[in-house]
Amino acid sequence: MSAALSGEDRAESIRMIRDSAAAVAPTGGDMKRVRDLRFQTPGFDPAVLRQMGEMGWIGLRLPEAAGGAGLGLGEACALAEELGGALVPEPLIPAMLSASLLAAVGAGPLERVVSGEALVLTAWQERPDTLEVPGSPDAPRRFLPMAAGAAVFLLPVREGGRIALYEQQAGAGLATEQTQDGGHLGTLEPNLGSATRIADDIGEALSLALDEAALLTSAYLLGGMDRAFAMTLDYLKTRQQFGKIIGTFQALQHKAADVRMQIALTRASIEAAAATLDAGATGDARRAVISRAKARAASSSMLVTRECIQLHGGIGYTDQYDVGLYLRKAMVMANLYGSAALHRRRFMATSPEIEE
Amino acid sequence: MDAIRIPAPAELDALDDEHFRQVVRAFLHENYPDDLRNPPKRLHWDENRPWYMKLAERGWLCPGWPKEHGGLGLSPAKQIILTEEYERYGVARTNDHGIVMLGPLVIKYGTEEQKQRFLPKILTGEHIWCQGYSEPNAGSDLAALRTEAVLDGDEYVVNGQKIWTTLATDANWIFLLVRTDRQAKKQEGISFLLVDMKTPGITVRPIINLEMHDEFCEVFFDNVRVPKENLVGQLNKGWDMAKALLGFERIFLGSPRQSGYALSRLKLLAERMGIWEDAEFQDRYARLRLEFEDLKALYGTFVEKLKRGESLGPDVSMLKILQTELFQAITDTMLEIGGENAGLLEPMEGNRDLNIGGLFIQARPATIYGGSNEIQRNILSKNVLGLPG
Repeated sequence: MSAALSGEDRAESIRMIRDSAAAVAPTGGDMKRVRDLRFQTPGFDPAVLRQMGEMGWIGLRLPEAAGGAGLGLGEACALAEELGGALVPEPLIPAMLSASLLAAVGAGPLERVVSGEALVLTAWQERPDTLEVPGSPDAPRRFLPMAAGAAVFLLPVREGGRIALYEQQAGAGLATEQTQDGGHLGTLEPNLGSATRIADDIGEALSLALDEAALLTSAYLLGGMDRAFAMTLDYLKTRQQFGKIIGTFQALQHKAADVRMQIALTRASIEAAAATLDAGATGDARRAVISRAKARAASSSMLVTRECIQLHGGIGYTDQYDVGLYLRKAMVMANLYGSAALHRRRFMATSPEIEE
Repeated sequence: MDAIRIPAPAELDALDDEHFRQVVRAFLHENYPDDLRNPPKRLHWDENRPWYMKLAERGWLCPGWPKEHGGLGLSPAKQIILTEEYERYGVARTNDHGIVMLGPLVIKYGTEEQKQRFLPKILTGEHIWCQGYSEPNAGSDLAALRTEAVLDGDEYVVNGQKIWTTLATDANWIFLLVRTDRQAKKQEGISFLLVDMKTPGITVRPIINLEMHDEFCEVFFDNVRVPKENLVGQLNKGWDMAKALLGFERIFLGSPRQSGYALSRLKLLAERMGIWEDAEFQDRYARLRLEFEDLKALYGTFVEKLKRGESLGPDVSMLKILQTELFQAITDTMLEIGGENAGLLEPMEGNRDLNIGGLFIQARPATIYGGSNEIQRNILSKNVLGLPG
């Protein structure tokens, strides 16, 4: 298990993951692919999802015995960050969530998920801005990312004191709404009559998988804000007004410095959370660091992308210019797996005292 | 506390980090005066002298100096641990300009004669130093300083004025940045000069600050004659030397400890005011807590760098900005929720260490000293982000 790697080996392992991300998210690559997939169905390229499976990304966190790569959250966050920088639309994080769940129970279409052959989504959510899983048998399951491309849904259903898991094939009962980033969110009507019951008790596994998804979403957002800011810095260094490079203006310099600090705090927060989990933290200790990271990433991604638009001026408000893509992505991702406000509350509940 | 043996000073740098931390804790427990923990104001020499002399006597006074000059020869990593433990214990700052600034400068740039003459007297507490850098028209723009030293025979004649000189009334020596070449570019005509405060022509005048404390002073120089052997390093190289001395200690300006202490006061106050459980207050508190926790994580990444033996880059400015602005935001919140208590001059009734107004005012200069936060943002934009001048 990579969590046991020494500092240097760890850094090397993370570097390798970052390099491998270039297969899907080439450094300095253009946004043509991303733009072409916007507002289309299913909004991502199934061939790229399969490629992610072949690269071992969907099973990155799974133990090797379950067909995974056995890597830590440090590596997973680095990967998500790279993909966020390139605004990769394939729903890797939801696929990883489903893979974790299936690997934990040792049942269901695990191999199809991990290979990327099929998009399998876990339909856990019943209302906005929550991490709670009521598991109501009949309640519509909401906010399923890229649901139009899913082949299978996994439904948590409360049975007595436990949460069982059902596998429902895609088909009828799905409605979708478009999102600001050009993707969509689905609502699924459960049909337990036609579904297969595959596990008895997934409560713990699901709560861990949701936490990890929240952290990976934070890392994806970090990649996006970092890249949006890099574009903005380039612009500040070339654009001229009043006969001067606008980056010489102190008002803009100080705004840029503030943005840089937000990004540094976000990175520190995410890396601390990943390291804490990789070191084996559980329970409230786990929830507290994840909530810290997600609260930070959600609020700073909005702040950073907003400021990037402002620092660009009029060009930043055009759809043709790429910086706006980062704002629209942040608008969607910032609130997935819990908003900043939700995570602030959860942080206070799980970490009431300052540690000395 | 378990009895931990405190090794001889020369052995400290060889301990492993965790053991060293325990030794520092035991040392403080054994030696630090209880009534000086977490003082609300910067202490004067007559107040912190017993602690200074205790450190001197035990050989712990100069953690960063090499052993051959009477220091502990500690690595940056161990100096950070030492500082963390001092902060945790609420140890007051001493009159430490000789220890932190002048000593290292003389060790690096001084002649053998200067080392023999000045270093031992810092170690015995005989020389208490203050720092004469800022001037009325050279604050953030320090290189614009105008206090002049003109060579006349074997002596420099110094004329001018310094300001914000911390604890100058306690000091018997002052180190100065002085202009020695009016024609050169402003950074290139500055030299470093050591002056005995008893020399005729020096006047010290305390300034009462917003804390109603006389920590800062003005120091006036009227034809003050200074032997030319008191010049340190090369003539007109004072600016570079002073800058080169800004080492890893810059990280301490960004230590989150002050904000951590302020947060604990904020919580105590909210409980006293009966609003701790209030949802609106909880969200405000959570935001500040999260700022604190993430700053701690960011601070930790810089500490790790130092422990790996790397030096700090200009991005360390981030820590100073974030820490001081958070400290202010926390004390702002205290003022807003404290009601009439916020305006009291003394601590709140029944809470000796809950002085809302005092903490609020203490937080004010943090964004000004050590390079104002605006200057720090300039440093970030130019030296980290590469934005044009």
